[in-house]
Amino acid sequence: MSDQSTKNDAYVRKFSFRPFTGLRRGRIFRMWSISWQWWIHEWDRSRAIKVLIGFQIFILFLTNIFVLTFKDIQLQADPTLTTGQILEDTLIPLVRGIVSFQTRIRGESAGHGDEFGTSFSIGGTSLFILLLAVLVGSGLIADDITNKTNEIYYSKLEKYEYIMGKFGAFFIFGNVMITLPYVLEFFLLYIGLGNMDFLAVLPVLVHVILFTELVNITYAAIILAFSSLTGRRLYAGLTTFMLLFLANMIVPSLAFAQGGEVGLQLLTDVLTLLLVSSYLLDGESIIRLDLLGREHTLNLANGIGIEGWMIIGSLGLFIFLGISIVILQVYRRHSA
Amino acid sequence: MSSDIITTDQLSKFYGSILGIHEVSIKVPPGGVGFLGPNGAGKTTLIRTLLGIIRPTKGTAHVLGYNIKSEINQVRDRIGYIPEFNTSFIPDMTAMKFVAFCGRMNGLANAESKQRASDSLYYVGLGEERYRKLGTFSLGMKQKVKLASALVHDPDIIIADEPTNGLDPTGRNQMLDLIKNLQIDQNKHVILSSHLLRDVEQTTDYAIVFSEGEILAQGKIKELTSGQRTSISVKVKFNEDLFIRNLKDKGYEVWDEGGFIEVKISSDTEKAIFNAAYTAGTEIRYFGSRSNTLEDVFVDLFQNKEGIK
Repeated sequence: MSDQSTKNDAYVRKFSFRPFTGLRRGRIFRMWSISWQWWIHEWDRSRAIKVLIGFQIFILFLTNIFVLTFKDIQLQADPTLTTGQILEDTLIPLVRGIVSFQTRIRGESAGHGDEFGTSFSIGGTSLFILLLAVLVGSGLIADDITNKTNEIYYSKLEKYEYIMGKFGAFFIFGNVMITLPYVLEFFLLYIGLGNMDFLAVLPVLVHVILFTELVNITYAAIILAFSSLTGRRLYAGLTTFMLLFLANMIVPSLAFAQGGEVGLQLLTDVLTLLLVSSYLLDGESIIRLDLLGREHTLNLANGIGIEGWMIIGSLGLFIFLGISIVILQVYRRHSA
Repeated sequence: MSSDIITTDQLSKFYGSILGIHEVSIKVPPGGVGFLGPNGAGKTTLIRTLLGIIRPTKGTAHVLGYNIKSEINQVRDRIGYIPEFNTSFIPDMTAMKFVAFCGRMNGLANAESKQRASDSLYYVGLGEERYRKLGTFSLGMKQKVKLASALVHDPDIIIADEPTNGLDPTGRNQMLDLIKNLQIDQNKHVILSSHLLRDVEQTTDYAIVFSEGEILAQGKIKELTSGQRTSISVKVKFNEDLFIRNLKDKGYEVWDEGGFIEVKISSDTEKAIFNAAYTAGTEIRYFGSRSNTLEDVFVDLFQNKEGIK
């Protein structure tokens, strides 16, 4: 063992250090180093990430074949339908399905119909994405507490840089695992379906990017908050997963128990807040709710009422709470 | 301009109502300096304050002329820190990747961080093991990785907090040897924080003694240890018992220590020793003042403090 060999130490010391250039990179580079290092490390380490991304690409490939095969039939059946609409009707439910297990489990789409049978395709991946996000992300801060590496981070960086670096780390994960496949899917469908003006379908792409980024931010805030609360990756992961999973299950279960129909999505469903907010992003204003058998209609863009702001507020509150917990933990508990 | 590498002025840190350090004013000279004191004396709190890990409640400090409040990032880039805790690092990351990563966090470009990580690991004697995963390293090797990660960004000051904790004698000597050599080979200023007097004595020539968040003493170790002659050491032949009895009869405090007869210094001690030897018919074979060790100073300081209390 090297720590038993002083002879070897004396030998290597003769070489000493190559001269240091004295050039130091800026603060953003340092934060980025944390993010990138974590992502590369997890990529090298985790077989599940590679399997899932392979699964995602396979599913997207299947979806494309399905959509392209039935494209002509759909266009003949409905002469008013355009390829742009097919693209939108395919992609938007897919993207919204990321955050909702119930939609996928029940085989419902998020409001654009299920004519093309796309909901089956990505259904399983929403659960996998959450599982993997929790599995990988819950160690982001918890592992540093367990391994006591946070002291090394804090001796080199500001604490906010550490937090940003960790958020960035999850953000890379989210972008590679969530955003990128759907953006790729957009372009595959755009090329495959053909006959459409890019500018006309650009809002769909914007929707895909904004919605998936919202998912990334919310996941990051919730997962990092739990990760900062404990030194055990397992506890952090389990708690986060249970919270998110139960949040998706409670209201539909209640509705089912009382014989009510679960209509679209429910505001009390934590991640459904994201789904609802997506209506704001693409300008679709009406949301029908069938909560415990009582139907409600929300018009988010008619300038009347505060429903839209409530949803943005709820969503913001979750992100704010998550980030606040992380900041408090890092600045208070971890620095005592 | 002051040549001191670190200066603090009335620096205090309270954790709620619990005292960390209280109005610490020190001047740390260049070279090797030991922070000495029992566990909980405030050494680590001072180090963490200097690195900006915790904020001081009161007072100011400068490291290499940089203010720790307004220029903390410059301070961090110029300090290599070996934390006290037995970190496990990131178990399935290689030593090379970890040390290079530490370099990048201090602003080194990718290529340079890899070069310097390799050099640092060679320097600490882990060149051959640099591509092994950290989880497979022994405690001694992990300590060396910590040292390598503290060196990677070419800091001016190395702060080692209890770097020999948990190490076996071989590992301990290697670590102290490396720390000592950093001052000679690399012209680094080294601050060694330890509750082990021997470690400080072996690697540094200046000591700052901490107790209960305050500074008890500071100065060159030579001055601290030679300042007070507390006893005279004597070695005698023939009638040793009678010689000792003669001294005790005259009211002198006498005890045996390591084969020497120690006589506590009071008035006319030297004269009394020679008189006692003459009376007892004893030959004096050695006569000299016992030089204090840092341990003696340390014990005296703490006894005095307890006495004042």
